[in-house]
Amino acid sequence: MAETSLTRTAPVAAPWLSPVTRLRIVIIVTIVAVWEAVAASGLLFRDVVPSLVVIGGALVNILTHVDFKVPVDSFELWIPEFYRHLWVTISEVATAMVFGGLAGLVVGLTLGTNPFLANAFERFLYYLGPTPKIIFFPIMIMWFGVGPGSKIAMGTISCFFPVVLSAAAGVRQIDSVLIRVGRSFRVNTWQMVTKIYLPAMREPIINGVRLGLGVAVIGTLLAETKLSNRGVGFLIINAYSTFDMPRMYALLIVLFVVAIGANALVGRASRR
Amino acid sequence: MAASPDPSARPGDGGSASAEPILVVDDIYKQFETQDGVLVAVDHVSFDVKPGEFLSVIGPSGCGKSTLFNIMGGLLDGYGGRVSVAGETVRGPHASIGMIFQEESTFPWRSVIDNVAFPLEIAGMPKAERLEKARHFVDLVGLDGFERRYPSELSGGMRQRVSMARTLASEPKILLMDEPFAALDEQTRLLLGDKVLQIQQDLKQTTLLITHNLTEAVQLSDRILVMTYRPGKTKRIVAIDLPRPRTSEIVGSDAFGHYVAQIWNDLREEASRGMRDDESRRGGARRA
Ligand SMILES: Nc1ncnc2c1ncn2[C@@H]1O[C@H](COP(=O)(O)OP(=O)(O)OP(=O)(O)O)[C@@H](O)[C@H]1O
Ligand SMILES: [Mg+2]
Repeated sequence: MAETSLTRTAPVAAPWLSPVTRLRIVIIVTIVAVWEAVAASGLLFRDVVPSLVVIGGALVNILTHVDFKVPVDSFELWIPEFYRHLWVTISEVATAMVFGGLAGLVVGLTLGTNPFLANAFERFLYYLGPTPKIIFFPIMIMWFGVGPGSKIAMGTISCFFPVVLSAAAGVRQIDSVLIRVGRSFRVNTWQMVTKIYLPAMREPIINGVRLGLGVAVIGTLLAETKLSNRGVGFLIINAYSTFDMPRMYALLIVLFVVAIGANALVGRASRR
Repeated sequence: MAASPDPSARPGDGGSASAEPILVVDDIYKQFETQDGVLVAVDHVSFDVKPGEFLSVIGPSGCGKSTLFNIMGGLLDGYGGRVSVAGETVRGPHASIGMIFQEESTFPWRSVIDNVAFPLEIAGMPKAERLEKARHFVDLVGLDGFERRYPSELSGGMRQRVSMARTLASEPKILLMDEPFAALDEQTRLLLGDKVLQIQQDLKQTTLLITHNLTEAVQLSDRILVMTYRPGKTKRIVAIDLPRPRTSEIVGSDAFGHYVAQIWNDLREEASRGMRDDESRRGGARRA
């Protein structure tokens, strides 16, 4: 943002591309060139580094190859199967964000405002926070089955920790005078939370949700790669096990794009 | 030079001499546990305020004024003594008390107008009505034209005026102010003092002003309570017998100068005691 406003305010002396943009272009071109060189040289085992052209072809194939039949009432709708898997993953992550985010927020607010409970429980959150959540997957399968339920549970657990920790820390960094102002105007508990705590905690909450989104995606996809027959994680591990490298790389590219888009969405929501 | 408060000095411009006090501070004692041991912040302070009266509390920095302020507002627990409003013991923020804090206290996520409308919003006033009323108080503190700005876009003095307007908008029966003018320049301070005084007289508001500015205290008050340096006790209560309505012009008069000189005498004693205390403590710390 600073970049664009800079070039806009100083159009006279500005070169046609800013130094940062030029550096980025150089780096990308270099990577592409090295990749292609390695792919063409055949130094590595065949297909481990497929040519970008081949990956591009696989990408087009994934996005457009119609191979899935959806019965809609009396007729049938044909769509590329990929979108069904993408939808499964997105809705799993979204559900996990809702559950994990809300739970994290409520627990974080409670711990942040109650020193006694914080004293009793917060250390456990710090122990569990960095633990790889995949160790809970067997339990989640037993509790919620092999379907989307266990994937959502994994995403929820993953998302919960960053949100709860940043919410608890966020409550404590609220300027105490703002809370005294609220009390002096005799706000009730609900008003205190919605009109003072939450707005005052905007930044830590958004940071927590950002981190939470990242780990929710990881948790869900990891669970999909372990045991499932649906979702992008399943597609990727499937491509890997059939050694379809171009398809695997293409799926990873789609995943990056989706992740960047989701992060941008959170960023936009945070800018009110 | 008796250090005890003079009970006869209590004219109360707004309230008649016979009126029951609306705010009673009875033998307040508050101590804090600190690393260096127990610190007595307020040491058995008592006074009362008549309806419509303007009382100032003046004392050197660190003498316990803000502590007393928070106790009166029902925001601080664990003290000895009793605060009562209209005969009712204060056990938390009281409906008829409005507070203006010493610290920066605007809500940074609300625009000026929404900050000022906050207490009205809490009271459930319809939107159009509360914005209208808030606008009136924004104008009153001289911030018209800044309604849509956010606190981060204002100067420190302007932000302090926003929090003043916010509390004034709730139209409290009793107004407690903790150094509300501290961040303002001398001219704004005088003009805003006039405004506050005018509102106070119009609404027959009982007002308690905490300050360490002598001119401000004499300009506005019916009575001034002078506090001692730590532990904060009542050193003296001085009645200011200057005619009302007053404006900032009174600052030039002889009678005004007389009061200032009298109270300054008391204050200087306490302030220098405070500074000696700080110095010896610093020396002690260095030796330790
Ligand atoms: N929460 C607290 N814990 C420990 N000590 C405190 C606490 N609050 C205040 N004090 C101490 O109590 C004393 C009185 O503080 P207070 O804020 O009431 O002073 P003040 O008269 O308002 O000073 P100023 O004019 O500088 O605002 C100070 O020595 C301060 O360090
Ligand atoms: Mg103070």
